[in-house]
Amino acid sequence: MIEPYEILGVAKSATDDEVRKAYRRLARKHHPDVNPGSKDAEAKFREISGAYDLLSDPEKRRRFDAGEIDASGAERPQQRYYRDFAAGESGRGYGVGSGYADFADTDELLAELLGRGRRARGADLQVQLGLDMLESISGVTRQLALPNGSTINLTIPAGVEDGEVLRLKGKGVAAPSEGPPGDLLVQIAIRPHRFFRREGDDVLLELPVTLKEAALGAKVRVPVPSGAVMLSVPKGSNTGAVLRLKGKGVARPGAPGDLLVTLKVVLPKEPDPALDSFLKGWTPQNSENVRKEYES
Amino acid sequence: MIFSHLEFMSRAGIDQQTLDVWIEEEWVVPQGALELPEFTEADVARARLILDLMRDLGVNAEGVGVALHLIDQVHDMRQVLAALIDQMRLSRD
Repeated sequence: MIEPYEILGVAKSATDDEVRKAYRRLARKHHPDVNPGSKDAEAKFREISGAYDLLSDPEKRRRFDAGEIDASGAERPQQRYYRDFAAGESGRGYGVGSGYADFADTDELLAELLGRGRRARGADLQVQLGLDMLESISGVTRQLALPNGSTINLTIPAGVEDGEVLRLKGKGVAAPSEGPPGDLLVQIAIRPHRFFRREGDDVLLELPVTLKEAALGAKVRVPVPSGAVMLSVPKGSNTGAVLRLKGKGVARPGAPGDLLVTLKVVLPKEPDPALDSFLKGWTPQNSENVRKEYES
Repeated sequence: MIFSHLEFMSRAGIDQQTLDVWIEEEWVVPQGALELPEFTEADVARARLILDLMRDLGVNAEGVGVALHLIDQVHDMRQVLAALIDQMRLSRD
């Protein structure tokens, strides 16, 4: 490596400020992204920035001046510059297309060469994605096969709605020539669940309980989208009573929905002689008219 | 490779506030759903370029936008030039 002072073109007595100014002047000229077509720019810039790393650090500069270290190893490690990406597909999203538009408009030959539709955007691509209700509640990552044969990983946020369309910018059909690609539109279709239903971010569940559990109260195991929890059914619970399990609904980060459990009292499927004989001999303490509101 | 916004911030060495400004200025344009932005290696390299412009080249915030716009146009024109050269080769053969 050449002498760092020589590289930056400053005197050994240069102040920190002079060193920085010299570096910036050279960096502006030689930065690889300011010189996308120059193969030498990268080596040159590494040399300049290596010299600056050494001279801008007072301790390193003192030791170098004292002859304790040399300039070797001062070069910055190799890195990939933006220009390495901008030339390929990955940099297309940043294109503006205005740098040559005037030529294409005025020069027939050039316009023909560039093609009238050269900057036209590619078509949008529409795909349907079926999700299980539980996946819409917890969020899911799915691999999607696209019509062009490629696959993409799509992260679907918790709380996505049936019919909602997710737009992935630039993942659609490639433009016929220089234009940006179209977008990928993924329409979500949610398959119903056996017993969970959704209302916004809340999840609804109808939970059967026995007569005994409802009358005397009980702890019952209840399925939730993320597994199962034990739920206390209060004594004297009726059909239609709603119990709220906070945060057990749609797993929206920061604001999860609730699980609303609606109780449904069910009698034994098979006749139960013990229950029958108990009820025959039972006189309710307060004979209340449960159909009062239906009578005129 | 695709990065989440957290991975992107750690690779680029910037904080959320800085990223918000960059996205608002359209210095970086992530893909993917709005609440789940996705970044590519090209975006990381672009982030390094922005930091180089500000730290090493002494460009101020207003200048960064101008520089990026001109750099994007240079790459556009390089692509058109490459396409033109292809066309010329085809018509010559």
